[in-house]
Amino acid sequence: MTSTLLALGLLQGCATDADPAGEILLLEPREQLIRLSVDLRGVHPTTAELDAIAAAPELYDAFVDRYLDDPRFTERVVEVVDQRLLLSTGDTYELEDVTGQDLAGEALSLVARVVDQDLPWSELVTADYTMANPALASAFDLDYPLGANSWQPATYTDARAHAGLLSMSSVWLRYPSAGENANRHRANAISKMLLCDDYLSRPVVLNRAAVDQLVIDPEEAIATSSACQSCHSTLDPLAAHFFGFFGDEDDMAAVHYHPEHEEIWKDYADRSPAWYGTPTANLVELGAAIAADPRFVDCGTQTLFEGFTQRTLADADWTEFQDYRSVFVDHDLAVRPLVRALVTSDTYKARGSTDPELADRLATVRIASPSQLASIIEGITGYRWTFDEVDGMTRHDLGLPGLAGGIDGRFLTERAYEPGVGAVFVLERLAWSAAWTVARHDLDPDREGDAVLLAYVTASDRPDAAPDAFSGQLRHLLQEATGLPVDAEDPRLPALETLWRQVHSVDADPIGAWAAVLSAILRDPRVLTY
Amino acid sequence: MKRRHLLQSSAALAALAGFGWSPRMARAAAGERKFLFLFASGAWDSTFLDPKHDSSYVDMNANTASIRTNGLTYTGGADLPSATRFFDSWGSRTAIVRGIDAHSVGHDSGRKLTLTGTSASSYPDWGTLLADAGSGDYPLPHLVFSGPVFPGTRGGAVVRAGGGTLLDLIDGSLSGRADAPAPALDQVSDAMVDDYVYQQVASFAAQRGALPGVGRVRSEALLDNTERAMEIEGRRFEAGLDDLGSSLADQAIKATELMRLGLSRTAMIGIPGGWDTHGDNTPQTPQWDDLYDALDQLMLHLAITPGLATRWLIDEVVVVCLSEFGRTPGFNGSGGKDHWPYNSALVVGSGVRGNQVVGATDDALIGVPIDFGTGQPSSSGDLLGSEHLGTALLELGGLDPARHLPGVQVLDALLA
Repeated sequence: MTSTLLALGLLQGCATDADPAGEILLLEPREQLIRLSVDLRGVHPTTAELDAIAAAPELYDAFVDRYLDDPRFTERVVEVVDQRLLLSTGDTYELEDVTGQDLAGEALSLVARVVDQDLPWSELVTADYTMANPALASAFDLDYPLGANSWQPATYTDARAHAGLLSMSSVWLRYPSAGENANRHRANAISKMLLCDDYLSRPVVLNRAAVDQLVIDPEEAIATSSACQSCHSTLDPLAAHFFGFFGDEDDMAAVHYHPEHEEIWKDYADRSPAWYGTPTANLVELGAAIAADPRFVDCGTQTLFEGFTQRTLADADWTEFQDYRSVFVDHDLAVRPLVRALVTSDTYKARGSTDPELADRLATVRIASPSQLASIIEGITGYRWTFDEVDGMTRHDLGLPGLAGGIDGRFLTERAYEPGVGAVFVLERLAWSAAWTVARHDLDPDREGDAVLLAYVTASDRPDAAPDAFSGQLRHLLQEATGLPVDAEDPRLPALETLWRQVHSVDADPIGAWAAVLSAILRDPRVLTY
Repeated sequence: MKRRHLLQSSAALAALAGFGWSPRMARAAAGERKFLFLFASGAWDSTFLDPKHDSSYVDMNANTASIRTNGLTYTGGADLPSATRFFDSWGSRTAIVRGIDAHSVGHDSGRKLTLTGTSASSYPDWGTLLADAGSGDYPLPHLVFSGPVFPGTRGGAVVRAGGGTLLDLIDGSLSGRADAPAPALDQVSDAMVDDYVYQQVASFAAQRGALPGVGRVRSEALLDNTERAMEIEGRRFEAGLDDLGSSLADQAIKATELMRLGLSRTAMIGIPGGWDTHGDNTPQTPQWDDLYDALDQLMLHLAITPGLATRWLIDEVVVVCLSEFGRTPGFNGSGGKDHWPYNSALVVGSGVRGNQVVGATDDALIGVPIDFGTGQPSSSGDLLGSEHLGTALLELGGLDPARHLPGVQVLDALLA
């Protein structure tokens, strides 16, 4: 094994560090810190941080703690959790004066609060309040703090019991019931979001008699067929909790709560509210039952595990997964300790494995999500790609997140971790827009403030007349974009100088030439990947 | 040989160095069938493909009639002139598939099941799978104009048009629309930058590809799609990628043009219309007629356009019209129709056994068991599901259905 590792290390041309089992090849310290920073903050580390980790790799754990306390960590957790909840659709459900972000924010700001305040994960289903901003306060029946203008705890005034996201109108607007399905869609949404279990993924074998019965009397078939009951025996009692969100016939939207409708489950499936066999009288009891269910903890662990490792949980991960789950439980279901455990593991820091089976499970190349890519580029250049003051990379108006491999919560429900053509084009044009903006600013002799990136050269400098300035500038750009050191003999330096000359030869525009060079550097795979 | 290996040859590099951008031609596999999926989101009324005018259980829309042409029976009539035109012209290349059990009456899950044959989230839809697992190499493997897509684990094969944003990305005009606008980089400079980037991505992929596993897969996907993006940029004028069209017919013709040029193998287009007609089923009639009109225009285009590997494009392209499930046999209290698990589909084009109906429903619009070899009802047969239609499409596309959906029968009756 040792000789194999040595050979691979030589093949890679860089230092190789192996785990005790001799199976995992680790990233070098700078790359580890970049992965950590992009995952926990959405940006590359600073130059000083990278220099520090290179000099003292043992500082990694200290950086973990620092980044876990960064406000941007909360945003990253929210993004990861929304990949499970699928709430950020941009849809306003025909409500006026609210945005899709406002509506998704009701549940996602509760997630943020749980992370920020180290509250237990179970707060998501037990909180005796909801979260609101002024827009939601005007759309829903809410007791929102007077004079507040940010996301705040608030309470509904329409007599509903509060149980975290179980009692949020926005959640049930996202997961509606058409009436006839008797809230089963909502029940399955609960199962998918909180148990990571999709009823629709279960194999169901219906015999001919059951099919015919379904056609004649669906509810009778559901109640009597064993094949149907394999799901409906638990699905229907779960669905029975949500009839308070049924309005009148022409008002099925879950904006208002109707306590008088809570018991009309008797008119539908006629299964009284329960959570997997345990009777529950209302949403509060349902929330408590969910919070006490070990599968809820499993699902929370799985959501964060998959989100921060870009791996799909596999059977072979069981032992490692149980370790993380134990950490989660031992720390009262607080998110930070769990994520700390995830990002300090060797599997997290891996750049490869000599074990083919493990190599097929470890995401040794991570792909930046659209929002991570946007913030990485912003961290390097200060540029944010906005259109009519809307962030193009996080809002769905232009479809850029989907093109870049992200989700839209409705049709695109899983991230594409293999960069597609759309992602290549998005990065190309984002990089160009950022590069042009930087070049135009930095090379303006009358600019206000310091140069963002092009501090070594002026618009009148030419490579033949100022070779050191060009070389120094190019090294600086490469290091800033990738976070990795660039030595004076790096072959990219002459290639970039050639590129500058070529582009400059087209129309003798130094701003265009520098923008082209910078855009090329921003399209380095080490910007999109980490 | 991958295109990047060609590019890496000294001749290709020399051509690039001379700024004479020479677009690299996609190497679509000769004779590989292309697939255009048209999808009616919301659930269409499948009785337009499965008329039941004589049934006491089924309500049919007004001004419609059951019409028989050769081996096909469909719903036509005074308000559906395009249906008759379509079947009269293209019936010999058309199969109607009936009695498909959609396994769901929920829109999201129905789409998933109809387009993938499973509810497993990791499983890609037919279009994605055909584009990704085919033997060709396409810059825009599965181009999604609109409508549903389930990339599963094959996200690299899916290119979403993003409501036209893709085109603005390809030609660079999107940068000019930003709040801090940037002019589009001229094409010559753009190619120079692309060349530098390509070399960096290739170097990265070689380094990360030295070790097997996910890192190799992802870095190679990045390299492949960087190549594809460069090719698309170079061929955008040839391919007419300045406008994907707005009508269904225009978009369908555009999609097949991209297939003809070897740029795409599969495409998905959402069929316009409000198909979820709980409140009033009447709009289904004009929407079906519009669909037939678009199909007629498309097929005419395919019939007179030279193919990539065959004389005419109609001999290479399969058009598949789907919806997530059907609608109830009878009208509800408001004249609408609700969700129904049995559905029908329309499959037209290359390799399809035309002038035939495959599968069946009874008078109450319930699917009946069929013989998968003949497509005819059989008491000893099996119920037809969306997965069986899918495996037939995979086989039409040259894939081994058993590898992708093990144990699922192939609907052989559909195949010529």
